[in-house]
Amino acid sequence: MNYSSLLHDKILCQASSKEISWIETKANENLLSLQTAFVAAQRFIRKDIVQSVSPVNSVSFNNWTLDRLVRVYFLTKLDSSDKDSYINAIDTLFDTAENNEAVALISALPFLAYPENWMLRATNAVRSNVGPVFDAIAFENPFPKKHFSEPAWNQLVLKCIFNDKPINKIEGISERANQELADSISYLAHERWSARRNIPTQAWRLVSSFVNKEILKDIQYLFSSESESEKIAAALVCYESNFQKAKEELNRHADLKLKAETKAINWELLEN
Amino acid sequence: MCQKHSEISQNPSHFEGSAEELITATNIQVNYSEYTKGMKFFDPHIHMTSRTTDDYTALIDAGVVAIIEPAFWLGQPRTGLSSFKDYFSSLVGWERFRSSQFGIKHYCTIGLNSREANNESLADQVMELLPIFIYKEGVVGVGEIGFDDQTSAEEKYYRLQLELAKEANLPVQVHTPHRDKKKGTELSMSIALEHGLDPGMVIIDHNNEETVESVLEKGFWAAFTIYPFTKMGNERMVEIVKKYGSERIMVNSAADWGISDPLAVPKTAALMKIKGISENDIRLVTYQNAIDAFAQSGQIDITDFENPMIIDQSLKYNGNTVLRGGQIPRIEKNSIIIS
Repeated sequence: MNYSSLLHDKILCQASSKEISWIETKANENLLSLQTAFVAAQRFIRKDIVQSVSPVNSVSFNNWTLDRLVRVYFLTKLDSSDKDSYINAIDTLFDTAENNEAVALISALPFLAYPENWMLRATNAVRSNVGPVFDAIAFENPFPKKHFSEPAWNQLVLKCIFNDKPINKIEGISERANQELADSISYLAHERWSARRNIPTQAWRLVSSFVNKEILKDIQYLFSSESESEKIAAALVCYESNFQKAKEELNRHADLKLKAETKAINWELLEN
Repeated sequence: MCQKHSEISQNPSHFEGSAEELITATNIQVNYSEYTKGMKFFDPHIHMTSRTTDDYTALIDAGVVAIIEPAFWLGQPRTGLSSFKDYFSSLVGWERFRSSQFGIKHYCTIGLNSREANNESLADQVMELLPIFIYKEGVVGVGEIGFDDQTSAEEKYYRLQLELAKEANLPVQVHTPHRDKKKGTELSMSIALEHGLDPGMVIIDHNNEETVESVLEKGFWAAFTIYPFTKMGNERMVEIVKKYGSERIMVNSAADWGISDPLAVPKTAALMKIKGISENDIRLVTYQNAIDAFAQSGQIDITDFENPMIIDQSLKYNGNTVLRGGQIPRIEKNSIIIS
């Protein structure tokens, strides 16, 4: 798939003629020149937010700045036919990246050749304490969904929940739900409850398909909560679950059951 | 740093000082912030890598809205190129983010410091690394570079970095030596002029009464570091502003891993106010001049810190970092309960 021409089209609708001519002089040069252009982009390209554009390769460009888009475009222009020099060039950019460059690099992962090679870069972004870098791998980025192992995926989702970040912005959040993750969410909730804190209520959407005897206790606890959103979460889990005892539990909360059936309550209401 | 005062003179981080100055330093006004209400400050030389989150909180509370962190040595020499790379990278990465979490705009200058210039084989490798970093966003100059022992190796890399700065059209932040300062300062300036640098692009740092006149006369910017137990206390800084005015003069803290004071700039502003210096002159030497000098890099957008910083929504979600929900978390220092 030739992503660079698709990204180029996006840039043409957003950039000024001066910006476009600078991009054109850089985009067809050699590897070193593209590397330099990637770094220098901030001197020549505005940081305006790109206006709504259709997704490319499941990347939606929400709240992207123009310089970020241009940087990703430059990366897609790198010649990947010589694997070693291609990987070396991108590694150098990663190793010396300023924060906005790091965001662009992580955003570019779905467009790069040799995806298996970028796994450590991707999981290191999950480990990052720099908020925007973490967000670049976590949100609206299809790379984790496609390439992360289950433990790496679960770590990403748990870190989002742990830090009150919106898991609904993770690509593939529903498809990749799993029992291990559901159990971890349950354990995390127990720890929080011991500290008289709680987890973001929408996290419970990830346990619906994995309710068992243990998790049902958590759901019952949520039903007993004073928080309306925790009650809603409990009802939605039971409504979605095929676990018989969860169905029975929901029958004890007729008003919430009705709301779930009529879609008067849904997970979107609980998104943080 | 847990050195005795007697040992500091053997291992000064920026300056040496006398016992009388120690007494002066202990008599600093406690309620100085009364005098600086509503003022904004720009500290163009502070090594936050070596400071705690308490310092960041104190800085923003005192009105310091933007800072420059020059690349320097870390108290002991690095032994490999990767250490330099990771250090430079942290100045445009983690430290910049950490600062943003407190609402403080963080810039840096990148360079090979004078002490480590003496390890020539490593210095050559660092020189190859510098062009990768100096063009990065928020890098407002080449620095801090210059002389320490005034060796030939120091001179060699100082000259090479002046050329680099000239080519990149970036300001230069020049560290002047602790020992034989006057000679080192003169030498630094004459070499800069020899390389064809516009003195208006060069900030000569760590000045004192002995060096200031010549620096200003030649058209360079004169920066003053207010550092406890040093030859440049802030009372004397006040006298310098009285004598030389506010043109091309700026104040910094150079706070680092030594016994130093990150609030040196607002404290000096307060002292100037108490001693009758005009608000306009205070503003120039503690804020505007540093901005004018380093904005020549094209990397300072004052709207990033002129208005009270709105914490970016993308920064609000913060990982396991220092800030939650866009607020600086306050720790009640005297409370035994930690929750």
